Amino acid sequence: MGSTDRQQRLAALRDTIADIERRPALQEARSRVELTPGDFPALGGGLLQEIFTDERRNAGAALGFALAQARGLIGAARPGVIFLQLAGESQKLGLPYGPGLLSFGFDPAALILVRVEDVKELLWAAEQALGCRAVAAVVADIGAPSKVLDFTASRRLSLRAAEAGTSVFLIRYGTGREASAAHLRWRLQPAPSARKPYDDKAPGPVRWQAELERGVLIKQSAEWLLGWSKDGLAAISPERGGTQRFADAAVPRAVPAQLGDGLPQTA
Amino acid sequence: MRRFLVLFLPNWATDYLKRRDYQLRAPLALYERIRGGLRLAAVDSEGQRRGLHVGQTLADAKALLPELTAMEMDRPLLEAAFAEFADWHSNASPLVSVMTDVSGFGDLVLDITGVAHLFGGERAMLRMLLTRLRDLGYTVAGAIAPTIGAAWAVSHYARSQVVEAADMQTVLDALPVAALRLDPFQTGTLAQMGLKTIGQLRGRERKPLSARFGASLLLRLDQALGHVEERMTPRLPVAERYAERRFADPIALMDDVLMTTHDLAIQLGIRLEAEGLGAQSFHLFLYRVDHKVMSLSVNSARPTRDPEHITQLFAHRAERLSGEYDAGFGIDMIRLAVSSVGELDAVQFGAFQVESGAEDLDQLNDRMSSRLGALAVLRTEFVASHIPERAARLKPALVVSNERPAENATSGTLRPLRLLPAPEVVAIAAEVPDGLPAAMTWRRERYRLVKAAGPERLGAEWWRSGRRLELVAPPPPPKPGEPEEDRPYLPQIDRFDPEAETRDYYVVEDDAGRRFWVFRLGLYGGPVPPVWYLHGFFP
Repeated sequence: MGSTDRQQRLAALRDTIADIERRPALQEARSRVELTPGDFPALGGGLLQEIFTDERRNAGAALGFALAQARGLIGAARPGVIFLQLAGESQKLGLPYGPGLLSFGFDPAALILVRVEDVKELLWAAEQALGCRAVAAVVADIGAPSKVLDFTASRRLSLRAAEAGTSVFLIRYGTGREASAAHLRWRLQPAPSARKPYDDKAPGPVRWQAELERGVLIKQSAEWLLGWSKDGLAAISPERGGTQRFADAAVPRAVPAQLGDGLPQTA
Repeated sequence: MRRFLVLFLPNWATDYLKRRDYQLRAPLALYERIRGGLRLAAVDSEGQRRGLHVGQTLADAKALLPELTAMEMDRPLLEAAFAEFADWHSNASPLVSVMTDVSGFGDLVLDITGVAHLFGGERAMLRMLLTRLRDLGYTVAGAIAPTIGAAWAVSHYARSQVVEAADMQTVLDALPVAALRLDPFQTGTLAQMGLKTIGQLRGRERKPLSARFGASLLLRLDQALGHVEERMTPRLPVAERYAERRFADPIALMDDVLMTTHDLAIQLGIRLEAEGLGAQSFHLFLYRVDHKVMSLSVNSARPTRDPEHITQLFAHRAERLSGEYDAGFGIDMIRLAVSSVGELDAVQFGAFQVESGAEDLDQLNDRMSSRLGALAVLRTEFVASHIPERAARLKPALVVSNERPAENATSGTLRPLRLLPAPEVVAIAAEVPDGLPAAMTWRRERYRLVKAAGPERLGAEWWRSGRRLELVAPPPPPKPGEPEEDRPYLPQIDRFDPEAETRDYYVVEDDAGRRFWVFRLGLYGGPVPPVWYLHGFFP
């Protein structure tokens, strides 16, 4: 009699512990995603996202996808985005370039570049950044798989991220996948760009192929063809071909609206 | 009224060497080449007791004491070591200076105005300093007096004592004239004249003395008596605001040091807050028992007085240091000093605080810079230039510049999201030489390029070239009868070649949708065949 009582109580305690360990982070994560069927979900802050791309030469697309999401998280109270990269990988992957950020539609003043020696320092810097309320997102560029970045490390990061409300984007390369506690895992590939008006030979608006490999959050679809414009990330349905919607290129910062007489509204 | 403490270590050179290398045997003497002969320059106390003296030839000394250990004197080494030794004394008073009037080492002066009470009075302070050095094996004498000159005179020519302002004249009068830091010629002549003590000199007419011995004699006399002020230059930068703590027993663990730093930061923070100030640079001095000083410095992007932040910066700095940290036999005093002080108004923390993201971000930058190094945390700054790699530069985030950043010179044109620090050579094939690129080989892989846009031609910045500014001799004047050379004269230098430096940039896209930024350096048909480079990646 006593033993069953005890077993029941043990089971109840185990459930409680499991609840404490797992659920809050996931539930919060779910609440940060707004679902609209067919369209790309609006993702809030506090998520650990892994962005995998097959090869290092896709580094530009992966960074673009991460910064596109990070731009939506920047606000007056959270003005900064931290970009982490190993000092030895700059020549392989390239450094974020100020004028390029501008033409992509990201304010270069918001980006702080941190060059670290090894993955251990990178994790340290990421945790420091997560401890700061003013950071909107942390983007870490990890060129090669590392043993230091194991399940424990990613679990730590995901909990910290959920707690701080700051998103972490780990840009990773290759087709191998390790166990990780990331809320979302993407496989991102560049896609042939859209048609440029009046010039068929030139590269047009950017297109990415994003596939959600992990994350139970989205049930309807797991693959999108994405475009990037001043309205943010948008899914492009294949039948429309992406040629009909022509939004302007993204602008890096908020621009005051112009009145009819051409004078700015503020000032 | 100022108070000065002079320490006189007559045998410092030999004492120091013996302390450094315990195998050196007494008697020890150091020799130097003086006037063409090897003569003794320093003798230890054992040698002096047995009849050696400075200036003796080395051969005589060796004959007198066959067991003598003689070494050549290394003045630069000794002077550097003495300077470090002097720095250590800043744990008694922050104003320490080496007196080099007579020798590069051996005399120390401390400005102890307003400091002595920390040691229980001047007498106790002098006793503490002397005992401390004697315990370490140094021969030392010291004196405290209202002027540097008087303290020096007493420490060299009388027993160690504290001289009050009222007694100074009496004490000085009894001392020999050599106590005025005079050169040997002056002392010799004064002795011939029968002027042996300072008292005799003081009563004399000033004019004849000045005429015979020069102004320096009277200057020294006035300095000793306090009629003319003598200045000292402290070795370490003077920090007006600092907090310090002494330990009865030396500490060694870094954790203890950091805890003390936190306490000191709180003390200092309260003082700074009362004055409405904040500081940007913080220096931690760790005084080791074995007379060495370690210093750590950290910087902050904006003025601060937050103890938590300051301690955290030192903790991160210490983590980077770990291997180099060596407490030796322990640390018996820690001083935290601030510099680059700026105004910082009082802020109220709490309920109505407005969240300022920029301040938090600066603190994060400080923390990361103190651990990873200032050059690891960077921000983009635009430069007015159209050359892509010059148009933006990365600047330490700690540096806050007041100047207005340059406008981005290339706004409106498409630029890549990632730029390679060094462009990489690629092979490009095109259908016609000046046509759009059709295939590319980069890092041994071949890309079929389906779309391309360009070229965007970027010329070199000729105003940076500087080649035509080289100075050349003017042409020789024309001989009579010959026609004069054309004016203006243009020297025969290689002209700046715009064609070799011009780049044509293309945006290219391969069949998978990857977009690259490639450029061709040089033009077809130019003197140098053009080379293609890959410079960046588009999203």
